[in-house]
Amino acid sequence: MSIIKLLTSSVGRKILMAITGLLLAFFMAFHLFGNLFLFVGEKAFNSYVEKLHQLGFLIRIAEFFLVLFVASHAYSGILLWIKNRKAKKVISSYSKENTSSAAKSAAFTGSIVFIFLVTHWSTFWYKFNFDLQGMSYYYVVTESSVGFGSPAVSVFYIVAIALLGYHLKHGIASAGQTLGVVGTKYEKIYNNLAAIFWFWIPLGFISIPVWFGFLVRIL
Amino acid sequence: MNINLKIWRQGSGATKGGLRAYRLENIDPNISFLEMLDILNIKLVKEKKDPVAFDHDCREGICGSCGFMINGRPHGPQKATTVCQLHMRAFNNEDNILLEPFRAESFPVIKDLSVDRKAFDRIISSGGYVSTNTGEAPEANSITIEKEYADEAFLASACIGCGACVAACKNSSAMLFTSAKVSHLSLLPQGQEEGKERVAEMVATMDEEGFGSCTNTGACSAECPKEIGQVNIARLNQEYISSSLYSLLKKKQ
Repeated sequence: MSIIKLLTSSVGRKILMAITGLLLAFFMAFHLFGNLFLFVGEKAFNSYVEKLHQLGFLIRIAEFFLVLFVASHAYSGILLWIKNRKAKKVISSYSKENTSSAAKSAAFTGSIVFIFLVTHWSTFWYKFNFDLQGMSYYYVVTESSVGFGSPAVSVFYIVAIALLGYHLKHGIASAGQTLGVVGTKYEKIYNNLAAIFWFWIPLGFISIPVWFGFLVRIL
Repeated sequence: MNINLKIWRQGSGATKGGLRAYRLENIDPNISFLEMLDILNIKLVKEKKDPVAFDHDCREGICGSCGFMINGRPHGPQKATTVCQLHMRAFNNEDNILLEPFRAESFPVIKDLSVDRKAFDRIISSGGYVSTNTGEAPEANSITIEKEYADEAFLASACIGCGACVAACKNSSAMLFTSAKVSHLSLLPQGQEEGKERVAEMVATMDEEGFGSCTNTGACSAECPKEIGQVNIARLNQEYISSSLYSLLKKKQ
């Protein structure tokens, strides 16, 4: 089997999706770790971002790989979605009760997450890197109009991250199946870890717009 | 009991099909579902009308010939049961029952409820076998197999290849079928010899036949009349990963 044949077979594409998906989920954990400095205070958050900036070249390499993972995950997903549509042209009243809605909506939630990512990069990432105009990083996130100073942005972040969690609910379980974890002695550990990634980490992200966008203004 | 049937009628794969209504009265609740269709067909033949085509053979639930959608579910409402083993007592008097063929682009309709499942045969012939010398049966205990593996292999080998998994799947994926065959052979020493090529070939044929890909929804196992589990799909994936790595490394040497 050549590497091309491996990567273009249906199982191969799914393996690629599983690996890139899991790597992105790991990145989310790292990303959340940084974000939580927002709760420590302005100084802590700003100096954390400064430290990341000092890594310079290494950060650019990491960003390149992240974009590559997102792109290959989305590309494989779209190709599989098209193939699946072709395989079932006539839809009978197939059993709805046996397919979880997280599984059925994975392509839809994935598309929304992609739109969210593009928005996130073109606002936060762009401002942090090229358009700071003397503002502090902390201010961009918590007060500016592209950040949680705008209730619309806050709501959009809350909804998009909730959908991302829902995407991961199916995605992480599915990756376990695709990588052959199911049925082995690691299955139980894997399933326990899965809940951290699809529930607790997204909840951690959501706490930021909820706090800085709404609660801090009310309380 | 009386029942109201709506049956998909289609002359052949080339013509357009549609649902037609039939009513049967005084049906014995203890006859099988296929016997009920036999009664309908006798009635249709007497009326000089075209009888409903459907596949069946052993009527014992072990051959995998029968199968169509009953009210949107492959093999009907009863768990772990083929159509031929389903009885009319599973329904109520005056029920509306909708019959459709298995829906998948890789299973073209032959006529009415009968679909062409040769794609499955082609998946099997691309690797679902062991190449052993025939001759006298060897001594049964000359190859010892751990009970755990023998049981798992037996569960996988229970697949009758009816196609319910493909019909149940929103993607028309044949992963459950293919994985049952791969699993069954890869768990036994006789099957391991050709294991690496088998999984690669069978997945390639599965893709060529136009089946969708697996999105791990589990709908197939829920509808499988032989209760083939999701663990088989995970096992196929394991086999596929190790087969790919093996052939990539082998090429480099």
